[in-house]
Amino acid sequence: MWTYEKKLQYPVKIKNPNPAYAKIIMDQYGGPDGELGAALRYLSQRYSMPSDELKGLLTDIGTEELAHFEMIGAMIYQLTRNLSCEEIKKQGFDAYFVTHTNGVYAAAASGMPWTASYIQTKGDALADLHEDLAAEQKARVTYDNILRLIDDPDIIDPIKFLREREIVHYQRFGEGLRLATDALDCKNYYMYNPSFDIMKKNH
Amino acid sequence: MLNEKTKLMHALSAEQFAAWELHLYLDTHPCDKTAQRMHEKHTARAKELREELEKKYGPLSTKTGEGCDWVKGPWPWEKGE
Repeated sequence: MWTYEKKLQYPVKIKNPNPAYAKIIMDQYGGPDGELGAALRYLSQRYSMPSDELKGLLTDIGTEELAHFEMIGAMIYQLTRNLSCEEIKKQGFDAYFVTHTNGVYAAAASGMPWTASYIQTKGDALADLHEDLAAEQKARVTYDNILRLIDDPDIIDPIKFLREREIVHYQRFGEGLRLATDALDCKNYYMYNPSFDIMKKNH
Repeated sequence: MLNEKTKLMHALSAEQFAAWELHLYLDTHPCDKTAQRMHEKHTARAKELREELEKKYGPLSTKTGEGCDWVKGPWPWEKGE
């Protein structure tokens, strides 16, 4: 189970609403490499992880991604407060507004709704951990691109924090992959599916 | 200028973050004694700050409060702390 903590992992305090920026940042809320996908990917893949360390690692990183999902939600919320219909039209937020008003919805910057086809659970620890490493890099690039497009320091500060977390998670997943391969035959890592064949043998 | 509650909240977040970073590190280095000691230190400091904050400003988790104290805003995405 999970318990809710009534605070953000890192503070989000944005003084100036800006719906155009909200739309860009939304990519990390419900986009292909966003925080929602990250959380659901790791929290689903953990069931077929072959070792206790890997089960712990995916549980913990998946949990942290939920806190990042909340931070991005807070940013979208704060960027879309007190808007006039003029501002909404001028800043290109009208297409989003007509469907969601200024509610926070999990979609990509393009408006495409979040879909489970962004993520995979392959049921093979090596394949899943490689996806996780790639996911962290893709999220890091999305944050790099957000930083290219946005000049408000109130947004840049928490976005830099989130970008750094992608790099740390990539490092931990790399160590997790090493732990997984260390437990396999170094002459042929692919002789077994460590999540299926070896587990089946043990139980 | 930051008010006292925000300062306390930032101090708690910093200690919690240090403890969490070490927690993730210990997932892949479970026997690292130095990291274990650092984790204990930051966890203990976070506990103190959390107790002080909750005593002064209300519950931070469903385990430490309910009813009027729990539902009272601002909620984390609103308050900008």
